[in-house]
Amino acid sequence: MKISTKGRYGLRALIDLAMNSTEGCASLSGISLRQDLSLNYLESIFASLKRAGIVIGIAGAQGGYVLAKPTSEITLRDIMTVLEGDMSVYDNLGEKTEIRSFLNRNVWDVIDRGVDEVLTGTTLEDVLKDIEARHTSADCSEL
Amino acid sequence: MKLSTKSRYALEGMLYLAIFGNEKLLSIKELSAGIQVSAAYLEQIFFSLKKAELVSTVRGSKGGFVLNEDQDEITVGKIIRAMEGNMVPVECIHSLSACKSKVRSNCVSRNVWIRISSAISDTADKLTLRELKERYIAENGGEAHENLD
Repeated sequence: MKISTKGRYGLRALIDLAMNSTEGCASLSGISLRQDLSLNYLESIFASLKRAGIVIGIAGAQGGYVLAKPTSEITLRDIMTVLEGDMSVYDNLGEKTEIRSFLNRNVWDVIDRGVDEVLTGTTLEDVLKDIEARHTSADCSEL
Repeated sequence: MKLSTKSRYALEGMLYLAIFGNEKLLSIKELSAGIQVSAAYLEQIFFSLKKAELVSTVRGSKGGFVLNEDQDEITVGKIIRAMEGNMVPVECIHSLSACKSKVRSNCVSRNVWIRISSAISDTADKLTLRELKERYIAENGGEAHENLD
């Protein structure tokens, strides 16, 4: 029940992009340095994110990527669907028995709905605010 | 983000045991017929459940498996953890040192994984075998029928 490398690295990279492209675009090499992620891997992740309309690539010497939409309009669900595909905790094995279809409805679907509520209810803007709030409280605790 | 079939069959087996294992003890063979999972695979699964002390075995010709704890105490979460080791979607939630990244102490994404993990455990740690058993029996018109091969 694990999120793949693509999901983990991809979200980290995208949050980094959101933080660092408020004035112009962010380069993959910058993200690679700040997030300790390989440039090759980032190129393949950003190709997927670009195809899905989450980021826009900007060509040229000063080029890089920007978000295609405001952070308030990109949900975790939009992002994870591109990076992970289906986020359900189970595959349909065929409902061979009464117990299996019962558990699909009463346990696994309920877990899926809980996860989906978090994914649809959290935007990239929420994630950034949360990071900022934690920085602020960390700064204050040093005083 | 899929659960292993081991976890799913473990829950199926445990629920089957909760529903049908009161009158008599159930063997691997009976459990296997009941949930339609091969006896060899189910044997491995129940070995893990036994190691996690969720079930124990009674020897003898009428022997079989019994639930170790009260059905109110056995949650879906306990069963998943027994099978998977933990129930987190990303290892860093369980232990930050599992992350080998240089930037782990300033990780920008860990909080997202924590939220998703809480959504999973909120449901899984609340659902008990007793509740599931009662709901199952209610859905089947007050009675449940054992699958006998």
